[in-house]
Amino acid sequence: MDQNEVIVRVGGAAGDGVQSAGLIIARVFSRSGLYVSTYNYYQSIIRGGQSWYQTRASIRKVKNQGDDLDILVALNKDALERHTNPEINEGGASSLKGIVVYDKSVGEFKKFDGIKYCEMNLGEIAQKYSKNSLLKNTVAIGAIFGYLSMDFEILAEVIRDQFGGKGEIAELNVRAAREGYDTFVEKFGKATKELKTPKKKLYLLAGGEAAGLGAVRAGLKAYFGYPMTPATSIIHYLASHEKKFNVFVKITEDEISAINMAIGANYAGVRAMTGSSGGGFALMTEAVGMSAEMEIPLVVYEAQRAGPSTGLPTKTEQGDLLQVLGASQGDFPKAIFSPRNIEETYYMIGEALNLAEVYQIPVFFMVDLYLAEHYETVENLKFDFDMKRGKFATGNEKDYKRYEFTEDGISIRALPGTPNLMHNEDSDEHDEKGDVVSDAVTDPLIRRKIMEKRMKKLEKLKKELPPTPSYRLEDAEYALVQWGSTQGPVEEAVDILRNKGIKTGAIEVNRPYPVNPDILKLVKGKKKVIFVENNYTGQLMRLIRSELNVEADLITKYDGESFYPGQLAEEIEKKIKE
Amino acid sequence: MVTFTDFKGTVKADWCPGCGNFAQLTAIPMALAELGIKPENTVIASGIGCSSNMPEFMKAYGFHGIHGRSLPAASAIKWANSELTVIAYGGDGDGFNEGTQHFYHAARRNPDITYIVSDNQIFGLTTGQASPTSRLGMKTKTTPDGSIEPPINPVTMALNAGASFVAREFSGDVKHMQATIKKAVQHKGFSFIDVFSPCVTYNKDNTYDFFRKRVYKVEDEKHDTSDFMAAYKRATEWGDRIPIGILYENNDMTYEERDSVLNKPLIKQPFTKVTEEDLLEFY
Repeated sequence: MDQNEVIVRVGGAAGDGVQSAGLIIARVFSRSGLYVSTYNYYQSIIRGGQSWYQTRASIRKVKNQGDDLDILVALNKDALERHTNPEINEGGASSLKGIVVYDKSVGEFKKFDGIKYCEMNLGEIAQKYSKNSLLKNTVAIGAIFGYLSMDFEILAEVIRDQFGGKGEIAELNVRAAREGYDTFVEKFGKATKELKTPKKKLYLLAGGEAAGLGAVRAGLKAYFGYPMTPATSIIHYLASHEKKFNVFVKITEDEISAINMAIGANYAGVRAMTGSSGGGFALMTEAVGMSAEMEIPLVVYEAQRAGPSTGLPTKTEQGDLLQVLGASQGDFPKAIFSPRNIEETYYMIGEALNLAEVYQIPVFFMVDLYLAEHYETVENLKFDFDMKRGKFATGNEKDYKRYEFTEDGISIRALPGTPNLMHNEDSDEHDEKGDVVSDAVTDPLIRRKIMEKRMKKLEKLKKELPPTPSYRLEDAEYALVQWGSTQGPVEEAVDILRNKGIKTGAIEVNRPYPVNPDILKLVKGKKKVIFVENNYTGQLMRLIRSELNVEADLITKYDGESFYPGQLAEEIEKKIKE
Repeated sequence: MVTFTDFKGTVKADWCPGCGNFAQLTAIPMALAELGIKPENTVIASGIGCSSNMPEFMKAYGFHGIHGRSLPAASAIKWANSELTVIAYGGDGDGFNEGTQHFYHAARRNPDITYIVSDNQIFGLTTGQASPTSRLGMKTKTTPDGSIEPPINPVTMALNAGASFVAREFSGDVKHMQATIKKAVQHKGFSFIDVFSPCVTYNKDNTYDFFRKRVYKVEDEKHDTSDFMAAYKRATEWGDRIPIGILYENNDMTYEERDSVLNKPLIKQPFTKVTEEDLLEFY
């Protein structure tokens, strides 16, 4: 076990309480002041199958779930054999090299070398406290924190929080955990090395929650959506905080309604957004163009999962970039954001909401299942927000024109309720005043001018793009290009390769569109440029290469899992040597 | 004082001469003016179709969106700013084909908006195809041998869905329609008016004459608008006698009244300040 970090996996079937056990473990680490990153592997079923929850805790900042398992909690025989078997390489993670805690009721099973098997009477201990079979998970959790010599009081606190205070159930769980803690140490001893636990105030949250909280910080007043994994974590967070934040949350009859409502609310002057995954977003497509044509601000939270079609509902992928880019007919200005981690999700959603209102365009905020659902620690979050809402008319304007041709293409909005400035906002092509030019006498000159007016906003967007971020790129010989949530494994792969003397660095695209021409400068002089993407065809590579002349290689992963840093480093090395 | 002419737009309506929509273009502003509702506080939201061009021809805040989607936009506009009077307007193709599920769900939600459908039983803007309310056997460009699909009954659908105000009107009687629109706008909740609005160009079956011969006013027959079953019975009446007027009305709570966040117009609510306290649940 690394002195500085530990990786724990809880494996079992759906309904075994894998996720809640995993979350308790993760929270104990984060409350102990350790940086945490988790990964939830689950299936689209409520009972049975295989699921596991991996938590990496470290005294350094961690941005992914890590490779080598130190501790396995196996909640059934299948999990026990699966996660200890070096032949089964779940999603790319290495199998266990440390200890495994399991209940003796599993019976006969296959053993592998290099693993310390810690068989316990988890079920028997649990039965002393409750008939609820899930209590044995608590015993096992106690056991691993005994092994790690961590402060039991923090575990007790987290359990009490989880089970709602100091009630009987909470106390039974605390006592069961204590017995697990002591029994393990008695029987198997402690880990030879002890994790330092710095006193840091860290918070552990998922991407969907970060996006929700970040949006509220940025003045969100309404969210419209329809449940679709993995765009549900933001809905759950906002819906359960509706009254606290005074944010209107509406679950609609379909995604078409959701996006039309979000546009309606924005039209009336309320900061509103909608969200879905690829399938639901497909239904929203037509209204995206309406937002552009009517110049009504819109932010769409798009949480990708593996497609096509229903695809892998509970698995991650970055396969929707070109869908989002191409959504709706015609040419129009738009912007795509792809935050790289949970902290950036919290801040960037505010930028997206500002941008949509200032430019009066549709803005897409793209995350993926991994980013939306995995938990990560954040610290020192800022709460103040520089709200930018663009131009609003007051009613005193002379010769007001809703779509006035301006230098930068942005005109002044007059919200309904404003005196004197009544006008029509139309999905039909219109002139400066909003009067339709599409029906009786189509006016080619006006059509050209209004198209150019809207497209000026894209030019302005391009001019105002912030520099593309990078990681250890300056002296790098090889540049990796990533977007969105793959930042964690890519940066760690860079570190692994540099430790081996291979000078790599990363270009991190957190705003895929409009394409930032500074990427050309960043790749200049590099021996190789390799795109790393969680999809089949390299969609970011295709987008960037459609606008910039960049020669590139591609590493992809489309098995539904996120990248694992060790395995990725190996693949990069192979690609470099090709 | 608000007058009819305050709502007069600068663009001349380009519907076919004799189109039923002209009656609505008169009746809606008349009703609003009588209620003293100012154009600046009125939003007309529509979808796509001949009738959906209405916002272009009225002086008010117009939202001319996409086919079938006027109701989601109209509902959200109301929720964003409940001080506005929001009227959704469109045709039978728009409302009862692509918009069907929005219609049904808007009715059950009961937002305080008015939905007026110009029901001409045909697609006009796309030059004469069968619509969801085209009668069985009707010959159109897409049903050369006559429609083989029974039509939708928008009024029973609204009743089934739980609409709190359901009415039917006829473009041939502007005054009567105007009175009903006035009541619909005054009604707290989702009010629906299905207007027989003849298409003089493409529908040779359901003409002004056809309706004039058949319509009767429910209030002349002591109809009780609080009696759901009586309303349902009238709604299914078809043939020699077709009822117009307010068929049903109740005082159910509106969506805005049920949702505590909407008790005050969203647009007037201050932005929420996020603090460290909001992070405690993640500790």
